[in-house]
Amino acid sequence: MKCKEAKNLIILELYGELEESEKARLHSHLEQCRDCSGESALTKKVFAVLDEVEPAAVPSTDWDRTWDRVQAGIAGLPARRRPERASGWRWAFAGTGLVLVLVAGIFIGRYALSPSPEPIAVSAAVVAPAPNGIRPAFAAHLEDLKPILLDYAHYVPGEKSGRKISVDEEVLRGLILQNILLKRKLVEKDPAAADLLDDLDLILKEITNRGTQNSQAPARIRDLIEQRGVLFKMEIMKNL
Amino acid sequence: MGTGCVVPLYLIKLLSTKAPADPFFCIDTTMDEQACIRLAQEGDRAAFRVIFDGHRQRVFSLAYRYLRNQADAEDVLQDTFIKAYHALSLYRPDKGLNFSAWLTKICVNASIDALRKNRGKNLQPLEPEEVANMPAPSHSSDPEISTRNKEIREHVDRALSNLPPRQRMVFTLRHYQDFSIREIAESLDSTEGSVKKHLFRAVESLKKRLRRFVTEDGYEV
Repeated sequence: MKCKEAKNLIILELYGELEESEKARLHSHLEQCRDCSGESALTKKVFAVLDEVEPAAVPSTDWDRTWDRVQAGIAGLPARRRPERASGWRWAFAGTGLVLVLVAGIFIGRYALSPSPEPIAVSAAVVAPAPNGIRPAFAAHLEDLKPILLDYAHYVPGEKSGRKISVDEEVLRGLILQNILLKRKLVEKDPAAADLLDDLDLILKEITNRGTQNSQAPARIRDLIEQRGVLFKMEIMKNL
Repeated sequence: MGTGCVVPLYLIKLLSTKAPADPFFCIDTTMDEQACIRLAQEGDRAAFRVIFDGHRQRVFSLAYRYLRNQADAEDVLQDTFIKAYHALSLYRPDKGLNFSAWLTKICVNASIDALRKNRGKNLQPLEPEEVANMPAPSHSSDPEISTRNKEIREHVDRALSNLPPRQRMVFTLRHYQDFSIREIAESLDSTEGSVKKHLFRAVESLKKRLRRFVTEDGYEV
């Protein structure tokens, strides 16, 4: 066996990737070759150092936030990423720009603008009217869902009062279908409404699949409602 | 099924039958992975979430061990699952590659891409603060050992950041993720011979970097 081959086999042996026959060949070479024997000891020590300093645990991460980003990416929206670290010259450039804007603002405020006798009126934003008759149907759908979602949102685990959340299967089936149809109608006209319907779709699926059989299901559904801010979004959207 | 709207398989069953007894009906963590994959291939996000939950830790761990930076690893985790979702229709379990290995392949490629991209932007190794913020090794209570370990870790990080991306990936998979040479070759679409070459070179580079620490006292085997 040549020393170069032995050097490689030493590594494979440490990783447990060597067959018995190769192992025997290697050891017989190491017994005869002082250089390779030293190389073997050195490699073992390097592995010991690597194992010693390697952090045992991978840090924890926010899985729900990552999932939200994955969903955004799947939907074709730009998946949000952490802001890139700006290098020193970028900070310097940004700082200079900020100072220039401030100086220009002071200059314009002091010399270029005359004091205005009347406060400037702010024109009210005009909310565009609903595109067609789908809006009332959407608002009615949200109203239908609200009591069910409120039941789950107020669920307290281990509550002694014996209040049990029950949803009629027929009603649920109707709501799911209604949700799908509305989503299909609104997906192009109103992406925000379609997003809300997406969240509702997920929650309705959870209710359908987990029901009230599983003792942890209501808590999971409550958390989902809370995480997605569904009730808040519903309040806002029904008035638009 | 209507055009432009993907209705989950279980929902079709729900809407058409009164008492579904089919295992597809229930999507929860007990559902077997293949069924989840089939549903996700139909566009079911809830099923895909189950898949995400089942594999996220392994994917994140691999990306973190390779990139040695939490934020970069989070980006790779995200990219891996977005790519997996879009490529899900191409996944064929009957072709012999299990889902975990298929996902690993995506993660490996995303991690190598991320490293190449980051290297293009910034060739520096890890910042000292980043090294300092890494989880501490077990015996950090001794300040002397802790300082020495920090110094060694900086050398390890520098040595790893100087390795070419594929070499570094081979080393990460073998040394930190305990993949076999055959599994690494599968993940990289490479041969076992080529993987071994990368591994030998990576270990040699590390040996050169760390030689001075192991010839000092304190690391007797």
